[in-house]
Amino acid sequence: MDSGPLAVHLAVRQCINTLSTSRDITEVTEALRTAGRYLSGTEDDPPACQREEFARAHYTKLLQFLISNLNAHWLELLTPEQHMDLWVSLFLNGPPDQVLLVLLDCVNSCSMSSGLERGLDVLEYFLQRGRLSALLWATCQGPPPANSPQLRDALLSRLVALPDLLANRLQEHTRPAFQPLHYYPLLARELSVALERTCQALREEMFGVLVPCLSALTQSDFVWKRVCWQLVESVPDRWMEGVVSGLVQTVDGSAALSRLLGNVVLKNKKAQFVITNKLLLLQYKYKTPMLQSLLGYLAEDSGRRPLLIQVLKALCGTWSSCSAVKHSPIEQQLYISKALLICLGLLRDSEVLEHREELLQCMLSGMQCHLDSSIPRVHHLGKVVGESLSARLDPGGTRLQFQYELDTETKELLSLLSPPPAHQQPPETLPPDSRTEPAPKSPSSEREEGKAGVPAARPIKQHSSDSELDSDDELTPYDMTRDGELGGALAPRYIRDCLEALTSSEDPGKVEVSLGAAEGLIKKNPAATREVSVELVKVLLHLEDRFNTQGFLRLRQRAMVSLTVTDTLAVTGYLTTEFYSLNYSLRQRLDILEVLALAAQDLSQPTSANSAPSKHKPPPLIQPVSTETAPDLQGTGQHWRRVVDQRIESKTRRFGKGAPRTGSSAAPSRFAPVAGCFFFPLLRNYDRPQVTFDLLGSDHLVLGRLVHTLGVLMYFAVNAPVATQMGKALLDFVWAIRYHTDPVVRQGVLFAVSAVLLSVPNERMFSELSDEMLEARAWLGDVAEADPDADCRGLAGQSLLLLEKILKKSIGSPSRGPNDQALQL
Amino acid sequence: MALPPPDPQFVLRGTGAPVNTLHFCCRNQEQDKPLLFSGSCLEPEDEEDRECVGRTWRGISLVGPDSQQQRCPDQVSTVDYWHDQQGGTIVIQGRDLRVCMWDLAEGRSVVTDSILTESVGFCQCSLLDREGGHWLLAVPGADMAAVRVLDLPSKTPVCTLKPDAKLGMPMCLKLWQPDSGSSPLLWAGYEDGSVSLWNLSERSLLSRLACHAEPVMSLDFDPGKLRGVSGSSEKAINSWTLDGQQSLKLQDSVELVNPGISHLCIREDRRILATAGWDHRIRLLGWKKLKPLAVLQYHTDVVQCVAFSDHDVPNKRLMAAGSKDQRISFWSVYNQI
Repeated sequence: MDSGPLAVHLAVRQCINTLSTSRDITEVTEALRTAGRYLSGTEDDPPACQREEFARAHYTKLLQFLISNLNAHWLELLTPEQHMDLWVSLFLNGPPDQVLLVLLDCVNSCSMSSGLERGLDVLEYFLQRGRLSALLWATCQGPPPANSPQLRDALLSRLVALPDLLANRLQEHTRPAFQPLHYYPLLARELSVALERTCQALREEMFGVLVPCLSALTQSDFVWKRVCWQLVESVPDRWMEGVVSGLVQTVDGSAALSRLLGNVVLKNKKAQFVITNKLLLLQYKYKTPMLQSLLGYLAEDSGRRPLLIQVLKALCGTWSSCSAVKHSPIEQQLYISKALLICLGLLRDSEVLEHREELLQCMLSGMQCHLDSSIPRVHHLGKVVGESLSARLDPGGTRLQFQYELDTETKELLSLLSPPPAHQQPPETLPPDSRTEPAPKSPSSEREEGKAGVPAARPIKQHSSDSELDSDDELTPYDMTRDGELGGALAPRYIRDCLEALTSSEDPGKVEVSLGAAEGLIKKNPAATREVSVELVKVLLHLEDRFNTQGFLRLRQRAMVSLTVTDTLAVTGYLTTEFYSLNYSLRQRLDILEVLALAAQDLSQPTSANSAPSKHKPPPLIQPVSTETAPDLQGTGQHWRRVVDQRIESKTRRFGKGAPRTGSSAAPSRFAPVAGCFFFPLLRNYDRPQVTFDLLGSDHLVLGRLVHTLGVLMYFAVNAPVATQMGKALLDFVWAIRYHTDPVVRQGVLFAVSAVLLSVPNERMFSELSDEMLEARAWLGDVAEADPDADCRGLAGQSLLLLEKILKKSIGSPSRGPNDQALQL
Repeated sequence: MALPPPDPQFVLRGTGAPVNTLHFCCRNQEQDKPLLFSGSCLEPEDEEDRECVGRTWRGISLVGPDSQQQRCPDQVSTVDYWHDQQGGTIVIQGRDLRVCMWDLAEGRSVVTDSILTESVGFCQCSLLDREGGHWLLAVPGADMAAVRVLDLPSKTPVCTLKPDAKLGMPMCLKLWQPDSGSSPLLWAGYEDGSVSLWNLSERSLLSRLACHAEPVMSLDFDPGKLRGVSGSSEKAINSWTLDGQQSLKLQDSVELVNPGISHLCIREDRRILATAGWDHRIRLLGWKKLKPLAVLQYHTDVVQCVAFSDHDVPNKRLMAAGSKDQRISFWSVYNQI
């Protein structure tokens, strides 16, 4: 079996025999599987030499056999998956040149039949799965085989003329994929892919081989160093960038880089531009080690040191520039922050002192830009860099301190501040081949093993000490079921007690319990709630987390939401007025918006069976509690009714007793009549700045949330009569801020527009909002193409799609009812 | 079906202030005249009259106290701990930074001597009877981390024990004289949650075990089994053993329902452990395996101390618990053998 070529030969013969004679489906699949293993088997099964042998000598034979048996009976027996996995994959995983030749031969030789159809299917797969580029790449890769000229000519002519060949054969039955219109673009794409891979491979190979070699040689030999420097310095300007960036990426560490590059950065303008500008400020695709070796290279030599300062200033300028923070992608900002931190780590104290003023200036303005940004990651980045900068500027004195989570990104950033140890154990001393010898066992790992030995011995000891026979059993335990958690203060029973506890109690337990009970109390007795609703919502809005209550924000929010749902008019009136009034923190304003959005959601949901009595539903069987009956009669009346009902229920036989159909019964939306109360007051005062709150100015985070909330309200107002007016007002409002500089606001605007599209009935949209829609369409197209923020582009694209769809639909069936697309909130 | 937990045998209500500590004294008394000392702090009616009281309860027995109370010395201090001595002297530690010796013999109540502790912590002192009319008294020292040991009645300082590591204040102390006749040892629980064993004559730390994450509130030790137990403000009680090399090992841990142990005590017959909990409950555990036996619910506030009586007749032994709700409850548990 192991004797290479012969074994393969036998195996293939056996496969072919089985396939041609056997009528047993399991034997057939097994044979196909065996053949497939030579193409895509795991590493050692079958051995690599056998696989090569198979691809060289037997693959074409096997393919020809398969093609000549396209009508074989067993092909009908395979399930679609087996067909794909076993049979088609035999064509898709092998050397593509052989496959293409065999398939085209088959097309030429077969008559029209279902077999030919199968062959064409495979050919189509072959094109779709990118096998053409594999073919091109394979011919780029290895040395040409012996019979190359003829084979290559044959391949080329077939590749070029594939549509003609097929059209000649198939006449008008040729498939779209084989028509020149589709085939040649495909071929061109595959060509470019193959070329790209070739270029990449060449570059990698070149530097991958050259650089370790050079860096090892230059380590001790000065002549080699000179040769290297001369080599780099005499690279023509046009290629300098390629050489430098290639070197920088492959070199391991700054010391090696400076041995290879010498002072080329001082002598060659182009190299200087690439190193100090292009690689740091313009491109941001490189990895952190590259940054470290590049900046380390600049710091290594006193001649290059001024360049480091220059780079630092440039980085600072970019980091602290507001427009860069606003408009450049977050990845680039991360890259620049990393470079800045590495620079800081490399600076000497004297240099820091010398440039202290400029750095301080940079820190101050940069901090402001970053903290103004509403994207959390930028925020975060600013805090980390600012903290490091201030620590470096005033090592002993006061420094900035922020609170932030220590995630992996932060840790990586902070670790950059300490420069990597310059002279680690240098791998360059070893010739490249001997690197693979196993590292000697480090003493630390041995120590760990030693440690692990100690606890292993411990349990045994514990057992021995425990083994004496104990006789606690003679003491019979008492009942301990009443030993429950100590529940602190008692929960209030009435909403007024709850209100009082929240306003005046100093007892943490009581406040916590009251807050937890608030939502239930509010829902339990709506009448009592209405009496105090505004007062309670005021208290909740101003409530502070004095006692670090668990789940404080959620409890408070749920209580406010249920208040809004219970007494909608009064509470929304209060909240929407307070949103624009003086002396609220941004957090409170954001809370108001969140509560309004959540309440709208609650109201718009169909009421479940047992909350909120609905007159249209048949009364539930066993609880005919009517509020009209006198309270004293209620008790007894309820009692006998229940007994009678139960009796009837037990005697009644039902056929097909299914689930009660309360879920599907229609109920009027509770949100529709009050949507205006939520919506219009929020639109009223946005352009009146106050001392503490300037919506169109610096408070763009709130503006973004406001627009988003309005979008949410709009979305829930679907099918409400007022939706059209709301949509019109909302579009008017967002129109003014659609080119806002903050991406969060723009995202809110896009969301609001898509909510309008979803909620306003189609026919009204085109009768009343046609102008706005036309403008919106042009604007959306603009945003989808040119917005710097990726999320904005995505949202705009979705809205555009939605708009087109609605347009198409309303043209197709102008009287279609309300739409019911789902919108992700 | 397990029996419902027992109710208290009787309750003393007269203290008028949270009960901080209890001490039985039943031996060496005339028949049926066992004593209970309770220490509490009277709520100040006005700042001047901050009266803190120790009381002696006479004649505690299974049928209830005969004579109610004998008003003991009035003094501006919180009484934390008593110990009865042969001459009817009791030792009272107060929050006024003093430990006073009172002569109670023949109905007297006079301060005979006092020691300035200079410590403002919560740590209770510990007294050890040595042969020949001498006692050792361990009190927290002026330095927050140190423990002073004095000889009584001469008041000569024996040693001052201060750990090298930062363990915080000592929270509870217990002196112990091993049977082997070597020098007395001191158990101390510290603020950082560790329990330490000190040798008094060598003034050295024999062993230390970090067994809690929170300050050790109370500890007790069983010299027979060389096994001790400690409680903290956590949700667990830990027991630990002392091996032949004088080193401490964590042995067992019992999870509680509610956090916080203010005091714990092993009964003299070493069968039962009682704990006073912040959750207003007294818990009883079997001492051998720390098997939970009962949860006694009566008090309406934090239970601050538990004590077992040392009555000669085992059947008459009671357990007392003092609570912040100003009551002392008496229980008869696991007395039938």
